[in-house]
Amino acid sequence: MSIREKGYHHWDGTFLEPMRPWRPIARLGIRLAFRRKFFKFAFSLSFLPAFVFLAGIYLSERLQDFRGIIKQDSLPLDVQPVYFLRYLTADFLMFMTVIVLVFCAAGLVADDLKHNALQLYFARPLAKRDYVLGKAAVAAFFVLLLTLVPGWILVLFDLVFSGSLALLRDHPLLPLSILLYSALAAAFFASYSLLLSSLSRNRRTASLLIFGVYVFSDVLSEVLRGVFRSPGFGLLSVKNNLKQVASALFAVKPSLDAPWVYSALILAAGAALGAWVLHRKIREVAVIR
Amino acid sequence: MGSEDPVSIELRDIGFRYGRVEALRGVSFALGRGATGLLGPNGAGKSTLLRILLGFLRPDTGGGRVLGYDIVREQAQIRRRVGYMPEDDCLLPGMDAVTFTSHLGELSGMPRQEAMKRAHEVLFYVGLGESRYRLLDTYSGGMKQRLKLAQALVHDPRLLFLDEPTANLDPRGRQDILELIADIASNKNIQVVISSHVLSDIESSCSRVVILNKGRVAAQGLLADLRQEHFNLYELRVKGRRREYLEKLAGLGCRIEETEDGLLRVFVPVGLEKKAIFRLAAEENIQVRHFFRSRTSLEDLFARTVGGEA
Repeated sequence: MSIREKGYHHWDGTFLEPMRPWRPIARLGIRLAFRRKFFKFAFSLSFLPAFVFLAGIYLSERLQDFRGIIKQDSLPLDVQPVYFLRYLTADFLMFMTVIVLVFCAAGLVADDLKHNALQLYFARPLAKRDYVLGKAAVAAFFVLLLTLVPGWILVLFDLVFSGSLALLRDHPLLPLSILLYSALAAAFFASYSLLLSSLSRNRRTASLLIFGVYVFSDVLSEVLRGVFRSPGFGLLSVKNNLKQVASALFAVKPSLDAPWVYSALILAAGAALGAWVLHRKIREVAVIR
Repeated sequence: MGSEDPVSIELRDIGFRYGRVEALRGVSFALGRGATGLLGPNGAGKSTLLRILLGFLRPDTGGGRVLGYDIVREQAQIRRRVGYMPEDDCLLPGMDAVTFTSHLGELSGMPRQEAMKRAHEVLFYVGLGESRYRLLDTYSGGMKQRLKLAQALVHDPRLLFLDEPTANLDPRGRQDILELIADIASNKNIQVVISSHVLSDIESSCSRVVILNKGRVAAQGLLADLRQEHFNLYELRVKGRRREYLEKLAGLGCRIEETEDGLLRVFVPVGLEKKAIFRLAAEENIQVRHFFRSRTSLEDLFARTVGGEA
């Protein structure tokens, strides 16, 4: 292979102003996620609850079409805000969100640490916040695709199937509630996955941490609740805390007998911990040895 | 540096401490066009100096400008116009060379399509044209080295910092990279600063050196001038009681090395005439059977400048 197969030419273009370097980082992270083995399968499977709930909306709004085969009493579907809350906080959806994060977010920082790539990033005119924002945007993108997008589409289909704006007339804040919960879940999961990804230089270890912390917190909380019969132990679970805050956003009584503010504080503390650890981990890296 | 030569790096009295450890002290120099070698033993402050030049560290004292931008206040502007080739293996896994290079071009602020076009060009330039769609994970050490050079060039920098550019390369690959560096420095109007432990690499590709020792500039300037400035090297073969003779030569400030075949390499300080060697030989009844003025290598210069402290 000979050097200089083509000559070197100076570039006569102009640099972008203002620069938003987090965008290419996010774009590349999303592209690379789709190249991972089994990611497409896991991501597709994550939309299963959306289809089930969509079918539910169709059945509830077009019940008269099925009178011949279904007794009305056996299908107590009522599309209210709590219906959307159930979708957004469904155990399966949350579990699949974590699985998707295992594929798309575990290596976001871990791979860069393992391959000494941080010095490549920071030799460019980008700040630490651009790097973190770009990486967080990857995780947030997939979480929003599983929460906000199906949530709004379900509302839209309800309007279409019912042929009226009754849902929005009766619950005008419903789209906002979906947006707020989705944003909260995206921010939390982005911070959660970046925190755990930055704790290891090995993608597999980071994957295990993302999956393990979620499952372990849930199991531990259930065991302690069972032993001590105290609802407070439910707050040890990541899943329960998200459900508590979601209930508050949808103005529904929380499933745990504990103030939702505690859950909000726990989630905020988790996100703050993630930001602090990231700040430390990235600062500690010797950019040039 | 001639007066018509534009100054691209100008440092004044730079000082930096890591806690109690003084990494740099009173470092001042100005560099212009061409290739410059940054030399020094481990712990001399080379990496700290590079970090300051790239804007990662803020000097405790002093200041300076890189490409006309202040090293403290305009770091982003500097990084946009500077290319950096790190020493260690570093890549973004799971992608091909075109994606990798264009991504880093985008991070420098290039528009997406132009970064992609430019990535193809620089990959051809460094000799990775045929392999540009291969996954980086499958690249050999030499290919990774070329790739690092490509990513440093993608945004068409005006100044290149190369940290150990020939590490992990076989002799052929090393020669290729050195040719490239020489081409970039001499024909492409890009200034190059090379930090390397391989003195022969510096010698073959740089016309100017900055030698750091214990956080200070031990020597700097054109290589040719420095060779002349610090000492003259003579090779001698002598017969007689050489021990006393050599001790007296050392007493005059000469440094003497003896090769396996008995050849004496005498580094004579500037100001001491070569006649002194013969005069001393006559006093000690020594026959000088061979006397030759030798060209000093960079290794000699480095050893002389850094001395036994390194």
